Amino acid sequence: MKRRDFVKEIALGSLILKFNPGLFAQNKGTPDLAWIKGDSPALLTKEAIATLGGMKSFVSKGDIVMVKPNIGWDRPPKLAACTNPEIVKTIVELSLDAGAKQVKVIDNPCNPARRTYVRSGIAEAAKKAGAKVSFPNPHRLKKVALKGEWLKEWEVYTDFIEADKIINVPIAKTHSLSRLTMGMKNWLGALGGNRNQLHQKLDQVMIDLSAFFKPCLTVLDGYRILIRNGPQGGRLSDVKLHKTVVAGVDYVAVDTAGATFFEMSPQELPYLQIAHQKGLGEINLEKLVIEKRTL
Amino acid sequence: MKKERSKKYKILQALRILVQTLFFLLFIYLLFGTHFPGKDYIGRVEIFFHFDPLLAVAIFIASRTIFVSFIFAAFTVILTFVLGRVVCGWVCPLGSLHQFFSFIFKKSKLLKPKKNSDNRTVWKYYLLIFILVGTLFSLNLVGIFDPLSLLYRSFATSILPAVSHSFSAFIGLLYQVNLSSLGDILVQFYENLAVNPTFLQGFFIGVLFISIVLLNISRERFWCRYLCPLGAFLGLISRWNVVKLKIDPQKCIECNLCTIHCQTQANPFPEEEWKSHECVYCLTCSAICPTSAVCFPIKSTPEKILHVDLSRRKLIFTSILGLLAVPFFRLSPSARRASPKLIRPPGALPEKMFLQKCVKCGECMKVCPTNALQPALTEAGPEGIWTPMLVPKIGYCEYYCSLCSQVCPTGAIRELTVEEKTQIKIGLAWVDKNRCIPYVLGTPCIVCEEHCPTSPKAIKLVKIEVKLPDGNIKTPVAPVIDIDLCIGCGICETKCPVVDKPAIYVTSVGESRSERNQLLLDIIKTF
Repeated sequence: MKRRDFVKEIALGSLILKFNPGLFAQNKGTPDLAWIKGDSPALLTKEAIATLGGMKSFVSKGDIVMVKPNIGWDRPPKLAACTNPEIVKTIVELSLDAGAKQVKVIDNPCNPARRTYVRSGIAEAAKKAGAKVSFPNPHRLKKVALKGEWLKEWEVYTDFIEADKIINVPIAKTHSLSRLTMGMKNWLGALGGNRNQLHQKLDQVMIDLSAFFKPCLTVLDGYRILIRNGPQGGRLSDVKLHKTVVAGVDYVAVDTAGATFFEMSPQELPYLQIAHQKGLGEINLEKLVIEKRTL
Repeated sequence: MKKERSKKYKILQALRILVQTLFFLLFIYLLFGTHFPGKDYIGRVEIFFHFDPLLAVAIFIASRTIFVSFIFAAFTVILTFVLGRVVCGWVCPLGSLHQFFSFIFKKSKLLKPKKNSDNRTVWKYYLLIFILVGTLFSLNLVGIFDPLSLLYRSFATSILPAVSHSFSAFIGLLYQVNLSSLGDILVQFYENLAVNPTFLQGFFIGVLFISIVLLNISRERFWCRYLCPLGAFLGLISRWNVVKLKIDPQKCIECNLCTIHCQTQANPFPEEEWKSHECVYCLTCSAICPTSAVCFPIKSTPEKILHVDLSRRKLIFTSILGLLAVPFFRLSPSARRASPKLIRPPGALPEKMFLQKCVKCGECMKVCPTNALQPALTEAGPEGIWTPMLVPKIGYCEYYCSLCSQVCPTGAIRELTVEEKTQIKIGLAWVDKNRCIPYVLGTPCIVCEEHCPTSPKAIKLVKIEVKLPDGNIKTPVAPVIDIDLCIGCGICETKCPVVDKPAIYVTSVGESRSERNQLLLDIIKTF
């Protein structure tokens, strides 16, 4: 190579780099959390997953994927008691696009499933996207060794155990016992039995369950959040339009991010502290690579 | 003599069976359709009741009010006036059921049709008079005996739940033999049927119903023949009977088959003794006649109608009995003091009016999405047996649901929009501090507060001090009720983790419908 060509190429290369600094940064690794703000719940979700490297990095071809939204209450989407149906729908679509064999949607609600599935709008939206939406099936309940610190065994819907991948799609709401209910509290909907007795040690239960179910991805619905009278609200004034979706593999980090929606720190949420101490995830947001974006 | 059965009447009989089957299926279809339909408002699944003139008349007399939907009953009245009791023979689903079982019992030789007729057919007229005399004094017992109420109540609170239990067990079996994929499909199907499986008196009501069906072993269509007050009512108004029985004396061999096999003892032979008010036009006589002698030609002149053969003495006796029954049924204290357990569905009229209108049909119990509405036994006094009450230990009143008020066929539960319903109090919740987990153990719980559907919540959490057995003091939060906000829905009681006897419970005090069953004398608020 001639010296002149060499200088030319260096000059050209530095020019390209100057105007396109991301060229070599592409392989530096995906962020820990995708934190997207914007107007459309579906687009937020799509962007968040894309930021994390696309659904293909979580769902493999032929997987049976269990999507676990919160369908707990007989409340319409505008009251923010259940996960936004658009978000659930988008997750189902992305999973199927990524090659999932089947996507299932199940939640064991507090009000009758026949009502919550309809009024939340989730059953219709998820079905439209191609998911198999079914009511929790009492015959599929099985006492399972959870091997938790406190919760040794409990009745779990085996659909969750048999699935290849679990994607947790909670909504962010206030709760008078755990203070906030987001991803880690969402697992109570995968259980049967007398769940109400679990409240006596709820924080530990949430940790034990999260460690057991090990979702491959948590997508937190912060589009509408319930800022008072949680976890079911009831008035529009209980709802805040927050227009955010946070997604990540580290479910402790996702809940920590969710706490900031309510201007709360992880220090105020004992379950996050314990989960962090156990090494289940990070609560120090500074230590994480977070990709924040507004659409 | 040519022995040949009439083809025409054979076909007509088959047609009648087809019509009966269709109406029965319609009844069952509407019964199954009486559940949360995926939207807030349900169609007219209770339409059968509105064609029932006995209910229409009894409620009109008892409550002195007109319920417009009963306008359809006029159709039944006109039809019966012109054609006789065709409704009994061709439409009534309970009649069809009895006929079906009579047929089964006959085929299995349990029931042997008897030659001799008796005069027990008058029982039903006395029963009718007994009921109607009561309604004069606003004692409404019609729902206990009305065939549609009887059938619906028995199916909704007993037969369907029993079938659903068996179905569940069958599904369980499928899972045991590794047919889980079929099981999965059936579970979803079952869930969509939304049959309420638990009823306090399911067994009792079921035994009564089965007994009534078993009576068919004694006589064909025993209920229709001897007991049905609606049949009696229709018999009394069947004045014209355009289609009349005729026996061709040329063909008749006097074999008596027609009378032996008459389903309701209308006595077709001899023709002069045919009781048109007992005839349900099932056409069995004309189809069974070996010589095609019995036929039903159209004859528009009203003639030769045998009047119901009631003795004046017994008539007076029954009326007096009906009169005496009124105070007898009111001996219970329920009129003086509200029962704490008698939590009526939202929209229920004030108790007195409610009892005058409720026909104990069980529509509300069938439609209730949480199985909360249960037939009362003694809670509402003797006249209130099988009227609906909310039992929060079993289910609760769903916040965004007014289905019971929509399906009530008589307006005993006033029709409400979902919006109106959320404003109605059906009772108040009370915390049993001797049993409530935070109050006793000092550990957190909050389950009742979490489930409380009002916003702001009627259950507040306050910090309390609890002395534990070891002398230590804990300061958990514990539930306290804001009685202004509490609507008495009972979800707190249903979901309370203290399973055997919930530590939070609802009683009827404070119910919107009552002026007297109130906790606070809040004059400013009421007016």
